[in-house]
Amino acid sequence: MISERARAGFDDLFVAALRSRLPRSGADDIAIDPVMDAGAPARPGATIVVLTISSIRFRLLFMLDVAEDDAMRAYYVPDNAAMRFREAFAEVANLCGGLLSQGLQSHFPDLGMSTPYVLDTGCLGHLDSLKPGHLSRHAVTINGAVRIVATMCICAHAAIDFVPGSAVVEVCEGELELF
Amino acid sequence: MSAAQFFKGLPGVAGAAGLLALARRALRRPQREAERLADMERQVAALERDNARLQEEADLLARDNAALEDASSQLRDDLDEQVQAVDALRHAVQAQRAGRARLGQQVRQMEDEARHLKELGITFERWHEQMISLMEQNQGMHAMNAELSSIVRHVIIVSLNASIEAARAGPVGRGFAVVASEVRQLAMRSEELSKEYSANLHRSDLTTTATFQDIQAGGKMIMASLSSLGAKAGQLGVELQQEPA
Repeated sequence: MISERARAGFDDLFVAALRSRLPRSGADDIAIDPVMDAGAPARPGATIVVLTISSIRFRLLFMLDVAEDDAMRAYYVPDNAAMRFREAFAEVANLCGGLLSQGLQSHFPDLGMSTPYVLDTGCLGHLDSLKPGHLSRHAVTINGAVRIVATMCICAHAAIDFVPGSAVVEVCEGELELF
Repeated sequence: MSAAQFFKGLPGVAGAAGLLALARRALRRPQREAERLADMERQVAALERDNARLQEEADLLARDNAALEDASSQLRDDLDEQVQAVDALRHAVQAQRAGRARLGQQVRQMEDEARHLKELGITFERWHEQMISLMEQNQGMHAMNAELSSIVRHVIIVSLNASIEAARAGPVGRGFAVVASEVRQLAMRSEELSKEYSANLHRSDLTTTATFQDIQAGGKMIMASLSSLGAKAGQLGVELQQEPA
């Protein structure tokens, strides 16, 4: 139901959004590697931040599998100890999803995005129950210490095809994003 | 002194002179008549020429008159057509005004409807709150299942200890060993069920979240479309108002 080139297009936008929004600074080193085993076991102690981008033809679940360890906390909430890590990371997920949504909007003008929600990683093992048309998973490492597994699960309700190649719309830092 | 005066003064001679004068006058009369006749003929000829010229002018005027009547008739026809065209145009303008008024009313209705439907956002958010409530209930079930799993693991350990103690007791503890084994098997089955239940809860969490997030995102998609529709209707209404009547 989802054409090969559309899958490639979704993946390109997904990776571009991760590369652009997960690092706190452009100077940070980021490595993104595809995880071939889509049914990879959940990491102990990790949670997933999930949000949904919906269109008339499909829904896309964007998930960030993250363990709240010292490296992660130091990276995402370095100055504001009072700020809860989950809130901070939910905002990061929101930015990633927003950029992905913006990139998709050139192909699908009618899109809406949910607010993020936190689930147990045990949920990741049940993605098949959603009957996904395309599942993509990437391991992200920032500065060799911060590790996140990002998953994109697309459930199509009609044939989807588009020509990839249009780059994700970059939004300058500090600029107001509306999504 | 004239001849008449001379002969008047001479008796006898005067009668002859008178006769002479009469003769002369009698001789001059036909000549004058002829001259008069010739003059009259010239006048007749001139009158005939004038008459012919007047006849030509009359013919010309008659032709001009006929042409003017034709032109007048054509102008009347044209005027009738123009009057009909103006009437048709007036009706068209009236129909257009009426149509524009209806259109303006429909645009206002559309704007109101779009504004009204935007309140659906409250409904979508209510559903999202329901999801959070459902997920909190699921969290409660997760916690209870974790507690149950902990108890079951403890029962397994206790049943294992019971089996060991029964073995130590020898033949006396044989019956107790059977009971301990049964308890361990039940506990292991319970542990299996607890794991299945946990997996079901996770599946339920995922399905619930995916469904309600889809509703929330779909709601935002609808809200955006309604906003766009309302804005376009508003713009159309402004353009209709700005258009000259």
